[in-house]
Amino acid sequence: MKTSKAILAIGLAFAGLAVQPATAQSLTVSNQGGQPGEVQRKTVFEPFTAETGIKINIDTFNQELARIRTQVETGNLVWDAISLNPINEAAGCEEGLLEKIDWSKYVDAKAFDAVGACGAPYLASPGTLVYDSDKLSGDAAPKSWADFWNVAKFPGKRALMYQPDQTVEIALMADGVAPSDVVKVLTGPGGLDRAFRKLAEIKPHVKWWKSGDESMQLLLTGEVSMGYGWLGRVNAANASNNRKLRIVWDAGYTNALIYFGVMKGSPRKDAAVRLIAYQLSAPAQARYMEQLGNPPANSDANALLSEARRAALPDPKARNGMMQAGPTYINFWLDNGDAIRQRFATFVAQ
Amino acid sequence: MSMAATSHEMAAAPVPRAASLAAQVGAAERRHLWRMLALLAPSVLFTAFFFVVPLALFMFRSVDNPEVSGYLPQTAAVMQAWSGKGEPDEAAFAALAADLRAIRDTPALGLIGRRLNYALPGFRGLLTKTARRLPAADDGATKAAFLAIDEKWRDPAIWGVLHQQSGRLTSFYLLTALDLEKSPEGEIRRVAPEQRIFIDLYGRTLTVSLGVTALCLLIGYPVAAVMSRAGPRAASWMLMLVLVPFWTSLLVRSTAWVILLQNEGLVNKSLIALGLIDQPLALIFNRAGVFIAMVHVLLPYAILPIYSVMKGISGNHLRAAASLGAPPLRVFRTVYLPLTLPGLAAGGTLVFVLSVGFYVTPALVGGPGDQMIGYFIAYFTNSAVNWGLASALGALLLLVVAAIYLALGKLVGFDRLRVR
Repeated sequence: MKTSKAILAIGLAFAGLAVQPATAQSLTVSNQGGQPGEVQRKTVFEPFTAETGIKINIDTFNQELARIRTQVETGNLVWDAISLNPINEAAGCEEGLLEKIDWSKYVDAKAFDAVGACGAPYLASPGTLVYDSDKLSGDAAPKSWADFWNVAKFPGKRALMYQPDQTVEIALMADGVAPSDVVKVLTGPGGLDRAFRKLAEIKPHVKWWKSGDESMQLLLTGEVSMGYGWLGRVNAANASNNRKLRIVWDAGYTNALIYFGVMKGSPRKDAAVRLIAYQLSAPAQARYMEQLGNPPANSDANALLSEARRAALPDPKARNGMMQAGPTYINFWLDNGDAIRQRFATFVAQ
Repeated sequence: MSMAATSHEMAAAPVPRAASLAAQVGAAERRHLWRMLALLAPSVLFTAFFFVVPLALFMFRSVDNPEVSGYLPQTAAVMQAWSGKGEPDEAAFAALAADLRAIRDTPALGLIGRRLNYALPGFRGLLTKTARRLPAADDGATKAAFLAIDEKWRDPAIWGVLHQQSGRLTSFYLLTALDLEKSPEGEIRRVAPEQRIFIDLYGRTLTVSLGVTALCLLIGYPVAAVMSRAGPRAASWMLMLVLVPFWTSLLVRSTAWVILLQNEGLVNKSLIALGLIDQPLALIFNRAGVFIAMVHVLLPYAILPIYSVMKGISGNHLRAAASLGAPPLRVFRTVYLPLTLPGLAAGGTLVFVLSVGFYVTPALVGGPGDQMIGYFIAYFTNSAVNWGLASALGALLLLVVAAIYLALGKLVGFDRLRVR
């Protein structure tokens, strides 16, 4: 253990050369990068620097938990704060990779859906049924996940994510499970088998994507007629390509909260907490989401959004979203995630 | 050594001056040797420190099992002594209760949970739940307390895992990498059909690598032959054309193929415009795409060694064969091909070894049925953080490649496999 830690430390020391060291008056944060990361820099980080004088260095992190673990275990921290999906927030918190923080001291917890023991949610990322309305319209356009599965009436390939979490949930919705019941059915007896049986029906017609970019490429090039895609990606694709990709909110969708957490042992913990609390404040949330087009994590920010932006968001009262949150759901994936991912990889390759 | 010493003495006895000469030569040779060693030292030390040592440490992770004995020391001791048959007694439950109380509310609970969850999905949740609800002190009825928290504690599979994983070393990761597991009774058996994945992956990795190697040699051989016989100006231009893609980033080349080969890509559009096909051909996100992109990426590695061997073949051999009446095909078969065989062997080995480790290119241009073992090694290293399994998969891959190399070496001779 000790020697391998030394090796890791050496490796990280070299990796660290590439990243600017954070000084007392600067923080290094790691987010998903790309266009959404750019929006975050402009609407959150730059105003924060202007207000506090604390500079922000940005790095990218694609949810590889190993990158957090090696930094914390060797004590060679490159990052101070990081963007996390709900499962990594829970796993990192449990394994001591993140600082435990009582967020109710900094924000009005009632305005948030699920504040973690370590991380605070800063945006919601719905995963939806999306199609190109230039190609499909009227009766030819899908209305539900059942339509998505109906290859006789709606011909062509479909795009789904090459990853079981979110995909098995969608399969259950296609099998007639109401979005609000998905967690109960999935984590109950036989739920997973039911999802895989449903996926088997459509498997020959699926193109599996591995990145958000790819999910939009497949739709824009006409490689698939409809697909599963994240709201942020759909907005970006429509804005930058002048296209008319359309989301079917009524079909039901998955909804993941994306968290920000502080690396365990960060010497700049206070500044990091200050940044995160700033990011969660209603004005910052509204500025950020107005440009990104995602639902704010802070529900108080809804009132500050423009009318047009609010209209493009899912109606929270419709309850069509399946929240990827709560102890039952998170524990299910923490306990069974590895085994399900293995089963999924085997299933898809056959 | 003794022979050298004797001849040295014999030479030294009659002519004293020769002895000092021999000593001088010896000293000069030793100085030369030291100089060579000093020159080699940086690269040897570098390789040892940055390659051999980390590799050995990482390989050791495939059998290393520090978690149970480290985080649950009392339980590990009891489990080591236990026969593994029937239900464990009160002492085992008491030991586990004591261990869990010690690590409750610390990251150790999460880490041991993750480790045991590899062996039995759900173990992590059971452990967390039990640790949270465990009474503060023992009252002699720990077993009853455990069963009251969750009936699963009666399951022999739970205790089978604790029993099998309590040692300092484990065969768990290596077995998993072969789609095998130990039953609670300790028998080795295949895992459930829907979990079998790695044997197929090794098979696929080897099939794709052999296919790519064969294609690279078939395409590379004529190119190298033409290059070796072209005039110096033309040859340098051709070498340039081979090397330009060689110097281009692998990611760029792989992504370029996605753009060219997709349904609405250049290749399909041109073929449709020419009226050769009506429907776009499926050229990407399948095995065809993997072969096209991998052969393109690896072709220079086949061409260069073959070319360097062909460069050294004198045209006189071929002319001599022809002047003795051999038709061109015979000249090729009996003279040219055997002479170029070392180049083919070297290029083939190089391409094969490189393609076995490929994962970026198949991930970009292949479908889910085309992912190679490297993709899963990266997945278990970066995302799943299951380093034991990642190193077991890597160790087995290394073993397979070493076995193939040895077999090939026996077949065609090791000196021919060297890249010149």
